[in-house]
Amino acid sequence: MSRLARLGGALLLTATMAGSTQAAAPLARREVLPNGAVLLVAERPSLPIVVIRVSLPAGAVRDPADGLGLANLTADLLTRGTARRSGPELDQAIEFVGGSLEADAGRDSAIVTLSVLKKDLALGLDLLAEVLRQPTFPADEMARKIADIQASLRRAEQSPETVAARTLGPLIFPGHPYGQPTAGTVESVGKLTREQVVAFHRLHYRPDGANIVAVGDVTEPEIRRALLQRLAGWTAPSAALPPVPAPAATVTASNRQITRDLSQTTVLLGRPSIRQDDPDYFPLAVATYVLGGGSASRLYTRVREERGLAYSVYAGAQPGRYGASYLVSLQTRTDAVAEAVKLVREEMARMGREPMAPGELELAKSYLIGSFPLRLDTSGKLARFLGAVEESGLGLDYPERYKERIGRVTVEEAQRVAAKYLDPATFSSVMVGK
Amino acid sequence: MVGMLQSRALSLSALLLSLALVGSASAQAVTSGPARFPVTEATLDNGLRVLIQEDPRNPIVAVQIFYRVGSRNELPGATGLAHFLEHMMFKGTPTHGRGEISRLIELNGGRDNAFTTKDMTGYHVSIAADRLDLVLGLEADRMRNLLLAPAEIDSERKVVMEERRTRIDDDPEGVVYEAMSSIAFLAHPYRWPIIGWMSDIARINPGELRAFYDTYYRPNNAILVIAGDVKAPAALAQVRRHFGPIPRGATPAPVTALEPDQSDERRVIVRKEAAQLPVVNIAWHVPNFRSEDAPALELLSTLLSEGRASRLYRHLVYDKRMALGAGGEYSYSSLDPTLFWFFATLLPGQSPESVEQALLAEVEQLKKEPVPAEELTRARNQIEASFVWEQDSVFTRASVLGRFEMLGSWRMLDDFLPKVRAVTAADLQRVAQRYFPLDRKNVSILLPAEPATAAAR
Repeated sequence: MSRLARLGGALLLTATMAGSTQAAAPLARREVLPNGAVLLVAERPSLPIVVIRVSLPAGAVRDPADGLGLANLTADLLTRGTARRSGPELDQAIEFVGGSLEADAGRDSAIVTLSVLKKDLALGLDLLAEVLRQPTFPADEMARKIADIQASLRRAEQSPETVAARTLGPLIFPGHPYGQPTAGTVESVGKLTREQVVAFHRLHYRPDGANIVAVGDVTEPEIRRALLQRLAGWTAPSAALPPVPAPAATVTASNRQITRDLSQTTVLLGRPSIRQDDPDYFPLAVATYVLGGGSASRLYTRVREERGLAYSVYAGAQPGRYGASYLVSLQTRTDAVAEAVKLVREEMARMGREPMAPGELELAKSYLIGSFPLRLDTSGKLARFLGAVEESGLGLDYPERYKERIGRVTVEEAQRVAAKYLDPATFSSVMVGK
Repeated sequence: MVGMLQSRALSLSALLLSLALVGSASAQAVTSGPARFPVTEATLDNGLRVLIQEDPRNPIVAVQIFYRVGSRNELPGATGLAHFLEHMMFKGTPTHGRGEISRLIELNGGRDNAFTTKDMTGYHVSIAADRLDLVLGLEADRMRNLLLAPAEIDSERKVVMEERRTRIDDDPEGVVYEAMSSIAFLAHPYRWPIIGWMSDIARINPGELRAFYDTYYRPNNAILVIAGDVKAPAALAQVRRHFGPIPRGATPAPVTALEPDQSDERRVIVRKEAAQLPVVNIAWHVPNFRSEDAPALELLSTLLSEGRASRLYRHLVYDKRMALGAGGEYSYSSLDPTLFWFFATLLPGQSPESVEQALLAEVEQLKKEPVPAEELTRARNQIEASFVWEQDSVFTRASVLGRFEMLGSWRMLDDFLPKVRAVTAADLQRVAQRYFPLDRKNVSILLPAEPATAAAR
């Protein structure tokens, strides 16, 4: 996933309900199924479509140190063969009805997503259950997938932003899996064995710790019954899910330069940050918006609008389940790097040094609170939001709490957290270019 | 593919719009299907076309204005004007200074962005539905009152140059895409990149931007689409109030360039040190939506590319293990005829020659044997399902309505699915035979730079 896309995912959680006077309808109904899986259902009957998103505690954060990329490979292989169908048969079955069934591992979780017309829901759920419960990890499919992942990793070397992000990861999260590449490395993926995949699946694709989100033209009893029917016998293994350690809250900043023959230099600054369960998160969200969130932000204004130094410049927090990072990024022509980086660092420092203008505070609050409905305006977006809120343990009332907390942020609070979390001296940096 | 350019990096997926030809808001929705999203249409006295689609499911509205101007309206020596001007649309009017339009939209909880394609320039805002009036006021203001201050132009020029470096110069696949267009088109403006050549971006002067703006940013050259939680009569009244006073402009001159029939084979090889995996593209000139053959070409592209069961994925990626990805891309709604692309990104160790031959063998197969019924039905079902899915988003529905209106009328959406359903295996075979001649193809290949040692040998 690109960094921008991941930033988008992070922003998803920094959202809340618009219209402070109206009472918020519950986003979804939540229940815990007998096997421990959480079911969240949002009924949207207006179009004959259904999205089912299953999240499992099987993300790259659970990769063994000597098996980077195992979570990603395991997720990729779910749709490559089950006890009943080969990979191509699965592809054909779902695509024949114009649907899709995809499995991917992210940093925290593996996600299996079914998108299907209502009339084909039964077929879709059959395939989804097979993929979750009875993947066979055929050896030939595994060889194919490993070669594909290795080729994708090589291709990503073409992208300076990806190179920068891969380099920065271990500087922000030294010794923690968050610092490692989600898909592993060409070398690590080449060493993965089928036994590792089978064992990883057995331990991590478990109902306790899983959540299932259903959005669309379904009712809660209907989807509940359909799922229970197909997931009977899916119970938690006796072995406990291994705990994931928290990353260090502070690290010593360091710098890296990666030389590439490019006309631009990609600059990526980063440090550990805080999650939504930290009270400082809300003033930090406001400060972030003022610094580098929108087109009126200080970075956008000074670096792009006034000086023409970059097409893309932004700052943002990326909260995860076990920790968070904060990134500031820009791309500029080689001979402007020094000036652009100086401007960026100066604006970061100024956030903590001076109070923001009341107008800046108002803009940030209005945007963060008011843009919430835009983040839930399709079934797919709503499913991702519900899943993310559940995974992070934020609770279905998170939007309301968020709105309330953002609304209470003061200029002083924003300045205080900016001094604490946006001090440029605490950021590691990576530059990719000449 | 560099099908469109967005004004800001933090933006919605460009892909969404570039693939929007398999649109939403289908004929089904408007005529026979669910009547819940009807379209109200109007043309103001000044020529502004207005489409309003009511959809009360979410308390939001998508407001999109499309100008009938893109890189096809430019001339050599001043390429990139349309896109440059799009950037300037955020740089202020006498009423709303630089950045003020976006700031007001964000202050009201909305998001805005813009894009330029070869055919058009679009501005879109998504916002709480009760803020429609604000957005209409802002769009009406910048339709005619842009400042185009020389200092702002020079500052934004640098931003556009950075954008070109990011998207094309430092992206090997961007370079090879640009190279293909420049060999396949000799006479038509589709020859140059949407963002323009670097030397033109560096040179374009305020007078040219002003003249371009005055020519194309007129109500009679624009389509305004509103989709969301609004009432059409009230929304139309607001549109009239904001846009009604703007005078009609002269009708812009049509683009007259016609690409001559290709009678030769053309090849270009791009070597980039940064390239990790070679890419092979093969493209042929094909007709656009105006042709009876367009639905067959559309279906063919779906059948070749959509999903892991699609033909090129199945054969080149899965069975032969030659490519990491492969497909066939067609632009149904291109205003002028453009290219049908076959493409493959190679797996390490594969030779471009053998992958080119494999792609050509697929083309020959399409000519020789009718596509099996299962494949044809799957592609049809995929297109039909995508129509339903795209109705889920007011943003997508607004952009598809605008796109089809650009072609002549949003009502052409009514015909799209029936035409796709009517395509037969024989049609697919016939269009492959007609449009993909082996001796008149365009080939572009991306290769990693020759190792220094090899050159020294």
